[in-house]
Amino acid sequence: MSMPVWLDDVLWTYQTLIHDLGINGLLALSMYVVLAAGQLSLGQAAFMGLGAYSGALLTMKAGLPFWLVLPGSCVAPVVFALAIGVPTLRLSGVYLAIATIGLGEVLRSVYLNVDYVGGALGLNGIPERAETWMIFGLLGLATAGLFLVGRSRFGRAMEAMREDAMAASAMGINVARYHLMALVTSAVLAGLSGCLAAHESSFIGPNEYGFEPAVTILSFALLGGIGNPFAPVAGAWFLTLLPELMRDLPDIRLALNGVIIVLAVLFLPRGLLGWRMKRAAVGRGA
Amino acid sequence: MLAQQLVNGVLLGATYALFALGFTLMFGVLRVINLTYGFYFSAGAFIALALTTHVGLGVALALPMGAIGAGLIAVALDSLLLPRLRHRRSAELDSLMVTLGAVLALYAAMTAWLGPDIRRFPPGLIGAEAWEWLGVRVTQAQVLILVASFVLVSLLIALMSFTRLGLAIRAVAEKPDAAGLMGINVARTSRVVSFLSGALAGAGGVLIGLNFNAIQPYMGESMMLRGFVVIIVGGMGDSRGALIAGLMLGVIEVLTAGYVASGLKEAVAFAILVAVLWTRPQGLFGRAVGQRA
Amino acid sequence: MQRRSLGLLAAAFIAAPLLSATSAQAQPVPVGAIEILSGPAAAYGIAIKAGLELALDEINQKGVLGGRKIALTVEDSAGNKDQAINAARKLIGRDKVIAIIGPTLSNEMFAVGPVTNERRVPTLGTSTTASGITDIGQYIFRTSLPESDVIPVTLKTATARGVKTIALMYANDDAFSKSGFDVMKAAAEKAGLNIVTIESFGSKDADFSAQLTKIKSLKPDAVGISALVEPVSGVLLQARQLGFGKETLFIGGNGSNSPKLGAIAGAAADGLIVGSPWFIAKETDGNPAFVAAFRAKYSKDPDQFAAQAYDAMKIMAAAIDRAGAADSEKVTAALAKTDFKGVMGPFQFTDHRDPATAAGVVVLTMQDGKFGIAK
Repeated sequence: MSMPVWLDDVLWTYQTLIHDLGINGLLALSMYVVLAAGQLSLGQAAFMGLGAYSGALLTMKAGLPFWLVLPGSCVAPVVFALAIGVPTLRLSGVYLAIATIGLGEVLRSVYLNVDYVGGALGLNGIPERAETWMIFGLLGLATAGLFLVGRSRFGRAMEAMREDAMAASAMGINVARYHLMALVTSAVLAGLSGCLAAHESSFIGPNEYGFEPAVTILSFALLGGIGNPFAPVAGAWFLTLLPELMRDLPDIRLALNGVIIVLAVLFLPRGLLGWRMKRAAVGRGA
Repeated sequence: MLAQQLVNGVLLGATYALFALGFTLMFGVLRVINLTYGFYFSAGAFIALALTTHVGLGVALALPMGAIGAGLIAVALDSLLLPRLRHRRSAELDSLMVTLGAVLALYAAMTAWLGPDIRRFPPGLIGAEAWEWLGVRVTQAQVLILVASFVLVSLLIALMSFTRLGLAIRAVAEKPDAAGLMGINVARTSRVVSFLSGALAGAGGVLIGLNFNAIQPYMGESMMLRGFVVIIVGGMGDSRGALIAGLMLGVIEVLTAGYVASGLKEAVAFAILVAVLWTRPQGLFGRAVGQRA
Repeated sequence: MQRRSLGLLAAAFIAAPLLSATSAQAQPVPVGAIEILSGPAAAYGIAIKAGLELALDEINQKGVLGGRKIALTVEDSAGNKDQAINAARKLIGRDKVIAIIGPTLSNEMFAVGPVTNERRVPTLGTSTTASGITDIGQYIFRTSLPESDVIPVTLKTATARGVKTIALMYANDDAFSKSGFDVMKAAAEKAGLNIVTIESFGSKDADFSAQLTKIKSLKPDAVGISALVEPVSGVLLQARQLGFGKETLFIGGNGSNSPKLGAIAGAAADGLIVGSPWFIAKETDGNPAFVAAFRAKYSKDPDQFAAQAYDAMKIMAAAIDRAGAADSEKVTAALAKTDFKGVMGPFQFTDHRDPATAAGVVVLTMQDGKFGIAK
């Protein structure tokens, strides 16, 4: 049974947009994980870049099949997440934020100066291996996974850390370990989305994973809220579709992201969809 | 060539130090990573540009007026954005995010209003003469920046150490609640600090705009990333640290570009940042940073 | 009553195909364009759009294919690769264009080209000068002269002036600048020049003192700069501050081909030479008329990008006419056979769909904020 022509056309016309919804959803989740643990990392774009470059290189230079490339592309992001995360663990959250911005810039310099990864010209001609079902399948898995974690005692611990880390620590929660786990998870999610994005648009460059995309990802999560994993994905979808609906206005995307972040932090600390997760009761009333 | 490169490095470093001064003040006193700082930098430059181009003022007047203008804008914006966050537990992070969002919107608005083009100060504003000694060449604008950086740092230190205002600021920096109890008007002191920080940013914008003779809305943003490095290496909140770290960074960047490879110039700053965060995160003069939530 | 309505119905049935035939004849030919209309590089895209629309006005006075107007839909890519791809898909899938002009930057073409090529829609770049553009596929054309055709001509002028040693500078974070540098280096070697040093910088850098001091200590006859106009201006301004005078010849790549060079760098840019396929006083047949019409419509002078776009639109219209139908395959075949005389001069495509001749390149020099022919 093949699709009617008009539907085929619509899907082709909007394919990039549809894929972006999935990829941005994954990125929003990667932001959610660290925010939910009470940290601010602006490294998602850098991890995404690592995933994109390593995925592209694995496909083009090592010729590996995609089902190996996807997990392979997560290795570099995880390594860097540990490298950044471990030393900043004992510092205040601001240091992590600044360190991740620094990481993004250092990586950009590397991409530019190393000819093997294409230098300023980037990598061209990446075969189109990412399918729609893969992107949304991973998104679904990640959302479901995070939902389940959120409902468990891990989720309760993270919420406690987010609200008041000192008190949480006093209650026996190993804040540092959770922070590191959150950072690594966020790196994996961002790395996967980078790999998928690279195999979807056939061309990646060193300037795509810097400060501005990191801020955009932050605005996804802040808009939607971080009470539960569905909210940031909704935020991502809203902000991805918005420029489509506002086509005639000049590119105020960045300004809009900025305003959203300001309003969200000042007035909507729980985001638009900020309901909390219900958890299985432990003993009497949780 | 080495002598000229060292001079280049010191001059570049002076621009970094100048930029970082107000930034580190904001953090040291109010515990705010104020990313809108970059915007005040650009605003100061544009105010001075408007004054010199349309009103025909000279640098001697345009510079302080640009600084004051930027300071006033800073007070207005900070009063809008920051008070609400002061008592939150995650004030540092929240202020980072709020000022991040605000500065993006502000840059976009400024670009929409003034256009993204690079502009120049009217020619002849600062004598284009340069002096040349022993093979080293320095222009008037560069000397002006060097002198201005030192003067401003000294003024700032003097203010903090020898005046009542300085005492109030240091008290608020130490413990805002106790300062309030001692009769210090914390809100007003915070506004003064915002003004000072904004004015320093604005002055920096004018001077640096003069030096490179390039003024555009996003000029603050490219300095911002270097600014992070300087305040962390120097120690957040310390003016001497900002000066020394700024000079060091400038010299290291220039020497790397001149003797190693110019492609690495940008990476050097961030490599230093990451290295410092790994080994001595409080920087040169900062307070030791313990476990914070 | 029934017979009358039956009669009306019959009349309608007979008239309808006739009506649709005539309206099909009057149906406009859809052509798409993807340009940067917002963001930092918007100056180029806006100039291109101006050139396209001026040409469109003139073309639509007669129309193509016997009176049909061309309907041009311009999408904004904002310099964003994903948005450019999105625009391409919308133009092809939703607006059903038969051909696309653009996108503005080589980077964008590398992303968009595979998409349009797969759908067999001829794509005509007017401002993309990096190497490898037409390798993307057989439906990708370009009228913009690659740097590899222009820079050797510029260097010939330099060597004619006695230049023997050269330092090269380039912006290392931008595909166009890096590609232009590769060409400069190869051309300099081929011309027998001695490259004393190679320095790089970031497009957004403000301080080039380290690199310039190093270059100055080596005393080359010339300095070649491959970058967009803003960093080039910054380099020139600082070079003068450091004491570079008339004895050093500055040579620019295509990025220097912008009136903004004079606006930003002012007197610091005096003496710079750059090769260009067009300049405002060029004496080809259509050029004075084009410049006059552009000034009349937009109240400002055209630049190279507008001129190239103007010619490209006319080349496309001519191809559609030659194809005899609003059909992508036929238009592609017709494009390949282009033989056109425009404001840039005579134009044909090579077999590989690049411009066939660099004969129209002139070497310009900047003086007092304006370009003139270099001697």
